[in-house]
Amino acid sequence: MNPSSNSGGGTAGPSSGGGGLRLGGGPGAGGSGGVSGSSVGGGSRSWASTTSVSTSGKRIQREMAELNMDPPPHCSAGPKGDNLYHWVATLLGPHGTPYDGGIFFLDITFPSNYPFKPPKVVFKTRMYHCNVDSAGNVSLDILKDNWSPALTISKVLIALVSIFTTPDAYKPLVPGIAQLYLTDRDKHNELAAEWTARFAR
Amino acid sequence: MEISEKVKKLIDDELKDLDDSSEKISEAFTCCVCLDLLYKPIVLACGHVSCFWCVHKSMSGLRESHCPICRNPYHHFPTICQMLHFILLKMYPISYKRREIQISEFEREADCFSPQLEDRVCKGQTEQEACHANNSQMRVDDTEASSFVVDHGDFHPTVANGTCQTITVDDALCTFCNQLVYHPVVLNCGHVFCESCTLVQKNEMIKCAKCEIAHPGRIPKVCLELDNFLEEQFPTEYALRKSSVQLKQSCGQQESPSTCSAGDAKESSPVLTSSGGHPLSWWGDHKVHIAAGCDSCGMFPIIGDRYKCKDCVEAIGFDLCGDCYNTRSKLPGRFNQQHTPEHQFELMRPNSIRNIMWRLLRDVSSAPSSTPDTPESGVTVVPSLSDDARESAESGFVTPSETGDTEEDQSNDHEEDSM
Repeated sequence: MNPSSNSGGGTAGPSSGGGGLRLGGGPGAGGSGGVSGSSVGGGSRSWASTTSVSTSGKRIQREMAELNMDPPPHCSAGPKGDNLYHWVATLLGPHGTPYDGGIFFLDITFPSNYPFKPPKVVFKTRMYHCNVDSAGNVSLDILKDNWSPALTISKVLIALVSIFTTPDAYKPLVPGIAQLYLTDRDKHNELAAEWTARFAR
Repeated sequence: MEISEKVKKLIDDELKDLDDSSEKISEAFTCCVCLDLLYKPIVLACGHVSCFWCVHKSMSGLRESHCPICRNPYHHFPTICQMLHFILLKMYPISYKRREIQISEFEREADCFSPQLEDRVCKGQTEQEACHANNSQMRVDDTEASSFVVDHGDFHPTVANGTCQTITVDDALCTFCNQLVYHPVVLNCGHVFCESCTLVQKNEMIKCAKCEIAHPGRIPKVCLELDNFLEEQFPTEYALRKSSVQLKQSCGQQESPSTCSAGDAKESSPVLTSSGGHPLSWWGDHKVHIAAGCDSCGMFPIIGDRYKCKDCVEAIGFDLCGDCYNTRSKLPGRFNQQHTPEHQFELMRPNSIRNIMWRLLRDVSSAPSSTPDTPESGVTVVPSLSDDARESAESGFVTPSETGDTEEDQSNDHEEDSM
């Protein structure tokens, strides 16, 4: 039995990652423990996943380059400052929806074991949408249980644009809005357009 | 939004990596997880390919894992596909080297290593294959004389630096029929077969013809990326193989299964008790060893008995599942552990928190009268299973005290115990 002393030490040394970039508080030792054998595996490390800051950094860097080359329509995204793990993204409200003409800002935070865990996405711009609550949290299955490491930020942004056009009223975060969406679509759209004009321009 | 200088530089670096002068990496050989050239590729049962570490890190450790692309569930960590590895090594020598450096840096940092495949003749490769390797190198030298070397056309331009070698048919032979692999399927052991060479009867276990290791579950799906690549690379040979396989299939459906016989299947059936394929088996069996994987068959997490090597010093340890322990598997570890057959094992208890959780959950979800040690869950979980499957499911429910039985009689004994 080895007490796996390096479960924290091995992963919390971020100095090697990202070419001298500052690695913010987010992807630190906190997330890296995860379900590694050290805490739950009966005292032996065995096949517990090892997370590496350089792996996630490399992948984020690659996504950044690809987004730069070939950005998806109506979206843009990139690091906030020097920190690779904190991004800002903008979405343009698609035509034909009450969100048309709005610019929606998002904060994206990558965990240190990205892409094996989903990024955290929070809307910074207030919006009237049954899948986005007042704090900006989004209910989107691919950002939770249905996350797959093959998904990228670009795909996440496309999925977010698609909930503008088709809100998922059956899995709402704000039941009141979902209720209105299902019963009185015109009123819902009117309110959403009003909020868009007020907050997103 | 304004991009900082550092970030701009990172993007530029990455772009430089992307269109690395001579080597344009085909989309087919880009790993969906790290978005880079596949390194030490693993082909999952659904036919999708990913890197060794990308697959390992994508796996759950708590329950069955899912393919990142198609979400197909799987329970066993497959072995690296050496054929694909060597093809990539030949096609993209520069990028593959870059990946090697990058991964070995990560491995040092994590103190955890992937199997070494440096040599053509290393583990799993027979002399015959090594011989092929030599042949193919000779053929590269006198290209015109050889009928095997196929014109690359514009698919993969021969690279100026000279290190890039030509891929020949010899690099892509079926492990069984020794011809260009047609509709390749890759077994859990990493060996590649034509789909037609793995034809087996229902209920029979697939066993690798080369390493004799049973493949858990059904026949894997064709690896389309590899198949498309071979079709493009060797159009004439591929067409020949296609017609011959189709001819064979139309001639006789009764053609004897190539990779295993009925006898083999019978023997090996208790070997794969927990891979029956019904998703609830993960909760039905109360002996899950969270985050522990079998270094022989790759079952991850181990369900049932877990034997841990007492002598392996590597941090990752060396474990075997009950079946692999009983069949005295001699395979080396999945992470380059220096395990030898002389090492001693100890039986590990599954994690207790996990068991308490399981009991709570089970009490909520199924009949309240059940007690943890009775193997009733097989019944509640799998009413639709065949008798065979139920039998094997139940044999997975042994308590540690019962494990002293000999492996041949194991499933029978437990059936009697539980009835």
